[in-house]
Amino acid sequence: MIVRRLLALASWAADVRVLAGAAGVDRPLTTVRATLDPGDVPGAGELLVLARQLRGTDWRIDALLRRGADNGAAGLLLPEFEPLAATRSLADRLAMPLLVTTARPLDLLVEARVALAAPELDRASLLVAAHRAVGERLRQPAEVVTALRDLLRSPVALLDDRGELLAGELPSAGLVRVGEPVPQRTDLDDGVLLAHPALLPGPARPALWLVTELRGHEATRADAVPPALALAAGAVQRWLLANRLELERDARSRAALLGDLLRVDDEPGADLRRRVADAGWRLGGWHVGLRIGVPSTVDTVARTQEVLRALRAEQIDAAVVEHGDGWTGWATFDQEPTAERVRELATRLRAAHKALRRTLGAHLGVGRPHPRAAGLAATIAEAADAARLAATRPESGHFLHVDQLGMAQLLLEWTRTDTFEPAARALVAPLHEAPGDLVRTLAAYLDAESSITETAAVLGVHRNTVAARISRVEQLLGVDLSHPDDRLALHLASRAVTLGS
Amino acid sequence: MRITEADVPALERGVALLGSGGGGDTRTAAVLLRRLTGGSEVVDVSALDPAAVVVPIGIVGATSALTEKLPGGAEFGTAVSAIERWTGQRADALVSIEVGGLNGLMPLVVAADLGLPCVDADLSGRGLPRLDQLSIAATGRGLAPAALAEPSGQVLVLAAGTDSSIERGARAFLATAGGWAAMAFGPVPAGELPGCAVVGSVGAALELGRRVLAAGEGPEPGALAAASGGRVLARGRVLEVSRHVGPGSHGSPGFGRGSATVADHRDGALLRLEMENEYLLALRDGSPAASTPDVIAVVDHRTGVPVLCEAIRSGIEVDVLQLAAAPFWTDPRRLPVLQPRAYGIDSDPVLVS
Repeated sequence: MIVRRLLALASWAADVRVLAGAAGVDRPLTTVRATLDPGDVPGAGELLVLARQLRGTDWRIDALLRRGADNGAAGLLLPEFEPLAATRSLADRLAMPLLVTTARPLDLLVEARVALAAPELDRASLLVAAHRAVGERLRQPAEVVTALRDLLRSPVALLDDRGELLAGELPSAGLVRVGEPVPQRTDLDDGVLLAHPALLPGPARPALWLVTELRGHEATRADAVPPALALAAGAVQRWLLANRLELERDARSRAALLGDLLRVDDEPGADLRRRVADAGWRLGGWHVGLRIGVPSTVDTVARTQEVLRALRAEQIDAAVVEHGDGWTGWATFDQEPTAERVRELATRLRAAHKALRRTLGAHLGVGRPHPRAAGLAATIAEAADAARLAATRPESGHFLHVDQLGMAQLLLEWTRTDTFEPAARALVAPLHEAPGDLVRTLAAYLDAESSITETAAVLGVHRNTVAARISRVEQLLGVDLSHPDDRLALHLASRAVTLGS
Repeated sequence: MRITEADVPALERGVALLGSGGGGDTRTAAVLLRRLTGGSEVVDVSALDPAAVVVPIGIVGATSALTEKLPGGAEFGTAVSAIERWTGQRADALVSIEVGGLNGLMPLVVAADLGLPCVDADLSGRGLPRLDQLSIAATGRGLAPAALAEPSGQVLVLAAGTDSSIERGARAFLATAGGWAAMAFGPVPAGELPGCAVVGSVGAALELGRRVLAAGEGPEPGALAAASGGRVLARGRVLEVSRHVGPGSHGSPGFGRGSATVADHRDGALLRLEMENEYLLALRDGSPAASTPDVIAVVDHRTGVPVLCEAIRSGIEVDVLQLAAAPFWTDPRRLPVLQPRAYGIDSDPVLVS
């Protein structure tokens, strides 16, 4: 509030005159106080009403003006009097509004007090109404948005942590600074945008934002709305927490069930079968396992829905369980699937994976089809192996399907791991220092089943050159290439090194 | 110390400044003092026999009436004789009741007339409006007995009474007796003067006058402050003067009250002076900046002549000075007698140091 707003009140406008100090009418005003003591000290933001007739010549008016100016008071109101020119000049000089009235000062004071309390009352009644609308029971966030929209008579929206619209509608939703999880107020051209985050415990990242936009006449309520918005955001947060609790409980029981299932060697017992049926899983038929791995920082429980959405979008009907750093799942076929159907499944999984990778650093491994409960464990184990490899294979889009590889390739892929590759490099290191393309020659020679002629053809050099290089390799490495163990080790090493470079 | 004709301008300037806007116009007294061919003798308190009888004298009432109703010349002698007759003591010396204003000069004239020395002391140290504020009242010695002699020949002896009743009695007499009268109080032994008077004030006024005159006409505020030993509160033009009847006591109207506001040329600040018979309080932009018992003197900027409260008017260019009160008055036992509240001004004293 400022003095100017007070002067606009009906009775003030009618009965109060600004005698001097008009430059100060924009002084901030927090309260209006009455006194009978001309020696009173007006406090900061106070408009002091001296409810007592003073002579215009009284020096104490000057002193009051000065004390008011020193303390940041809003002004001084006295019963009508004719001041000295010096007093007027002083009020002007200090920009301290000097007001006089012919009305009863205390009546004016009461009206001013009521007006000053109005925003607080508005805020309080809005808060009570908001509590009535959303506070009682647990509600879906969309319901909260609707209730708040009706209450504020302004558009309200629910945004996710990336600012994407989840419910409601809001033209200026893009202006919310989702990176700053604090209540926000942004001035618009003809209004104001208010946003309040609904936070989950743990990482200080808002899960959802409740946002409203007050335009035109409603913008004047910008100070009254934030507490109501905060209350509604609290209701959304309550829903999030309840929902999260349910998800967490659910995820835990499914993870435990999966663990039990993977541990049994033969057919599961009746009790376990009942629990599996309760979870809506099928043990009969053929299963294709899948494993989605994510970095350990990802909150898997919270994002299960996202994974399910991505799979459903590709019409993949799979059970998915939060399991370690990621999800384990499987698709079930009634009969042994044909190679065609498996390939089709793999294609859809690849598409779903691609969609997931837009928001998640996920790698996906897919197992081969295996029948029944025991087969479930087998295909999930394959999928887990494939996923581990996929994590290190950006060239395949972090996607690996065991069926496409064959077990041998899987083994070869393994040579590309961080543990093997340095060892392989160390093994063939002496060849790098010698002249001649010895590593490639060795690789080609072993690929050609030790045929000098074929090696020479592959490399496009004379067969004597190949023979000379091979004997130099044996010399440098101190190995005998007719020995099977040496051959196997060198074959893997040379493949790892040539693929790696 | 002999005050000769050559000393008169400096002494006049000094006592006028100490009048703090009151104390009456010094011109008539200065003319009389200048006409004394042999000058006037001023003696130190210490040079007198401690048993010497010192009679305080001065003019009371509307001193401006003095210029309309001139003294006959015998009033002081009559008042002193009345006291001598009442107390049975012969006066050995005289002392001024008030160094500020014309009473700073008049006793010197009278002393020369009566062939008595004048003591270098007074009972005010500045200009004061009321008898019950004199130092002999402030220290509890009391004003009674007191004798008043007015120009048309009436003589009144107030033999006994409280200080305030003496003040009231004298005022009532003055109202019927032409506005002013010569007044003498019961004698004080010279040895007791240091305890109940402001000692050395005549010499100090002479020194002050000499220094200020030496600073020349229209001095810079800094030079004026240095010469007067005080503080320049404002250097500017009088914007507004307002006069009204003050808050009287016991149903009778009080002294005239007024305010004068000076716009400081240096920074535009508004210096408001609250006055009665003297300048009592100075507010700089509404904030108390100086008050009685310090002396607040307004001087004409060009001539340096002090401007009396009754003579200040809007439009004149002035300097406003604050001079430290005599230590006699800043003593906590006596401060209440001269602080602003003693004049009905609800402000704490604001002193120069």
